Amino acid sequence: MQLKKGLVGLITVGLLAGATVAPAAVLADGHEKDIRIEVVSHGQASDPFWSVVQNGVNAAASDMGVTANYSAPGTFDMVAMGQLIDTAVASQPDGIVVSLPDADALGPAIEAAVAAGIPVISMNSGSDDYAALGILSHVGQTEYEAGLGGGTRMGAAGVTKALCINQEVGNTALDLRCQGFADALGAVGGTSEVIAVDLADPAATQATVEAALTADPEVNGVLTLGPTGALPTLEALNSMGMTGEIALATFDLAPEVLQAIADGTMLFAIDQQQFLQGYLPIVMLTLHNQFGGLIPGGGGVVLTGPGFVTADNAEAVIDLSAEGIR
Amino acid sequence: MSEAKRQDERVRTRNPLQAALSRPSAGAIIATIIAFLVFTWPLWECVGDAQACTANGFLTPRGISNWLEVAAQVGILAAAVTLLMIGGEFDLSVGSMIGAAGMVLALSIAEFGLDPWMAALVAFGFALVIGALNGWLVTRTGLPSFIVTLGMLFLLRGATIGITRLLTDRTQVGGLREFTDGDMFVQFFAGDLIIGDFSISASVFWWVLVTVVAWWVLTRTTFGNWIFGTGGNATAARNVGVPVRGVKISLFMATAASAALLACIQVFTVASADVLRGEQKELEAIAASVIGGTLLTGGYGSPIGAFFGALMLGMTKVGIPLASIPAEWYFAVLGIVLLVGVLLSNWVRRRGTGVRS
Amino acid sequence: MTTATNPVAESATSSDVPLIEARSLTKYFGNVIAIQDISLEVRAGEVVCLLGDNGAGKSTLIKTLSGVHPPDSGEIVLSGESVHLASPRDALHRGIATVYQDLAMCPLMSVSRNFFLGNEPTKGWGPFKRFDNEAADRIALEEMHRMGIDLRNTSQAVGTLSGGERQSVAIARAVHFGAKVVILDEPTSALGVKEAAIVLRYIVAAQARGLGVILITHNVNHAYPVGERFVILDRGQQIGTFEKEELPREELLKLMGGGAELDKLSHELEEYAAEVEQKGLGNSDVGTPVS
Repeated sequence: MQLKKGLVGLITVGLLAGATVAPAAVLADGHEKDIRIEVVSHGQASDPFWSVVQNGVNAAASDMGVTANYSAPGTFDMVAMGQLIDTAVASQPDGIVVSLPDADALGPAIEAAVAAGIPVISMNSGSDDYAALGILSHVGQTEYEAGLGGGTRMGAAGVTKALCINQEVGNTALDLRCQGFADALGAVGGTSEVIAVDLADPAATQATVEAALTADPEVNGVLTLGPTGALPTLEALNSMGMTGEIALATFDLAPEVLQAIADGTMLFAIDQQQFLQGYLPIVMLTLHNQFGGLIPGGGGVVLTGPGFVTADNAEAVIDLSAEGIR
Repeated sequence: MSEAKRQDERVRTRNPLQAALSRPSAGAIIATIIAFLVFTWPLWECVGDAQACTANGFLTPRGISNWLEVAAQVGILAAAVTLLMIGGEFDLSVGSMIGAAGMVLALSIAEFGLDPWMAALVAFGFALVIGALNGWLVTRTGLPSFIVTLGMLFLLRGATIGITRLLTDRTQVGGLREFTDGDMFVQFFAGDLIIGDFSISASVFWWVLVTVVAWWVLTRTTFGNWIFGTGGNATAARNVGVPVRGVKISLFMATAASAALLACIQVFTVASADVLRGEQKELEAIAASVIGGTLLTGGYGSPIGAFFGALMLGMTKVGIPLASIPAEWYFAVLGIVLLVGVLLSNWVRRRGTGVRS
Repeated sequence: MTTATNPVAESATSSDVPLIEARSLTKYFGNVIAIQDISLEVRAGEVVCLLGDNGAGKSTLIKTLSGVHPPDSGEIVLSGESVHLASPRDALHRGIATVYQDLAMCPLMSVSRNFFLGNEPTKGWGPFKRFDNEAADRIALEEMHRMGIDLRNTSQAVGTLSGGERQSVAIARAVHFGAKVVILDEPTSALGVKEAAIVLRYIVAAQARGLGVILITHNVNHAYPVGERFVILDRGQQIGTFEKEELPREELLKLMGGGAELDKLSHELEEYAAEVEQKGLGNSDVGTPVS
């Protein structure tokens, strides 16, 4: 009957489709087990910052000869991220790398991973929370200190009143950056105010920055916390004709940021060198698996930043940025 | 003309297979089975070897609990959305309601010091009011519900962001663990039932419950007949005495309540609320409904079908990473699976009922 | 609404008080006079045909009688009592059932669900009140059989029925739920000859059960066999009311308008044919009038 034939046909198609997506490696006797590491971050695939991390992950996997899978939720959603961590745990990997923007929300999922005997390393965010959850080490930049460093440099450049543009208020790491920045400025008698913007809407961000600058003409310094804040701010200064009049600095790199530094319209960028945040954990977990539990850092933080990019080294970094390494 | 029912020569006995395939949920069940086969395919060689059977994690107790939980989150919404779509309307605001109700819940606890059970009542009350508002707007103005609820989608989301920042200067309300730890009421939403190696999340039980209730109301009550009538031909229904306006408003309240339920589950599970929670969930719920056999034009559909539609989506969302498909292709693969699911469901329905509609 | 008990015995003869009476009904839409001064009456067991060409005002009259529009002047009298119909639902409760051409049926629902829409049978009580599927299927099938409609299976979707069958479900529904007057708006217009005959048969069945029937149509061939009285409208006015005995079919056709025009057209065609033959245009086949 035609109906039955149709069903058989459909099932066949389904199986063929399944064949193309099946993972290649299945256990067989006598072979050494391939090492597989699952990376779960909160950074969307569309975010240029995180694609550098992903490049680091891929480079390390290829250099070490292991498999590394990268996944992230579509929006900044702790519920979805927790579920992705659960999925990673279910696949019984040899190690898990996570970012930790919200330790409260992700705690249960990570504790489950640790309880299942899977070694976990955190990166990028959560430098204050990781140890309590049983995570072996943290690879990243301690945010407060980075903010502090930035504030010190800005203060030395003569900034007295500054704005801190935060594109993800509530992300503890970003909040700490602004906090460190404000404290450093405060130590030399300056002030800083946090301005919240939407990381996904550059036009609105630009408008918000312009409004803030117009509202307070005494502002002479602006710190942004990432390209999603930096680029619209550059545009804003441009359209207000204030380029070069305000000391501008940012966290993290992007081609436009590097160009601005080279041109002199931006003072410096704080580079957390996120490539290393993708690269190092893979190396660490591979060694941990191969050699009976080696773990660099002694359980502490392995720092990847802050690195400062100024007019002196901007050109060199520009080339690396185009390759997705910085 | 004989009064007795005689065997009409125009009635043929269909074989049970064809009869089963003409049910609206048939397509969804088949799609789910195929998805299951696809994601477990590499394990078929494993018969007898338990270690290999669980190699990619899909069939481990943990993996199964995982995709059941992901499916439950879509399924809870899909059950109510299916009823509304059978009634002939759309609700695009359920996603925003998840964020809004969740924030109402969290703020009630963190800012206003309410007990969790009271805060939940407030959140549900809020949702029911907004749902009634949706229904009232649609039935009063005669505007397409697509547009009305699209406006509400933006309004709710914007109000959530604005009011949250007004009250807290942040976009998340966290730190609820101190209020929720050990609270029995919270366990109803956030707890897990441990059966052997399986850790089944409470959301799965809610999902089954909501689906059964939806199915019962639709097929076994007068109100359910009214839902079919309202979606099939609202004028006809009105003319025979069905309170069409009341039916629609009730259905909008039901979808809002299901969003509030999901919000409670999420907030109590991760002990925080976020202004962006629930984004795109309304589309996933509609997709699950349509895979389950519900027509976009109304008058026809099945909550059981939506159950399997959600199950298929859950299996797919978890199966994609477990099949080592790179993250950048996640959305593309999900989209393909969705399309195939809908096409399959449609094809099965046409084959089974012989109706080209 | 109660189900109709067996009314065959007493309904064969009409009672004196009309079931429904329209007295000098008038309805305006803005400055357009849709109907003016229309009067008619229907007794139990009578079929009254409302005839007229398109635009005569039949639809407006029907909508007024079924509660969709209130009349601007005149009154509606039900079983001797003057009433104001607030809505179609109100009219339905008072026993006036209207079957529109676009059918008041939900195509994707089963026959039994359609049959009982708004009047669902239930069993159980309190929160466990259930829609009685079995009773619905059984009663729907029975009622259709009583009307002489032999439906295969009441759980099939109404959309799979033919046009005539759908009409019959609507009529059976009206009869079952105690309608006293059934108004049928152009029931046969979209049907083929055989199907139309089936529907007309069901109209007679309803009549035999004691209902009054108002049949709107512009098709004299359908109206003439079943009607006892003919009310003819033209451009909002009532041309006349005729009992069947007084009126042969051709007269009826002429009165409906179009009679004179058809004669004239016939004449013109004959003249044209003669002209062509005279002038010898082409061969003789061309000028042969088509009959």
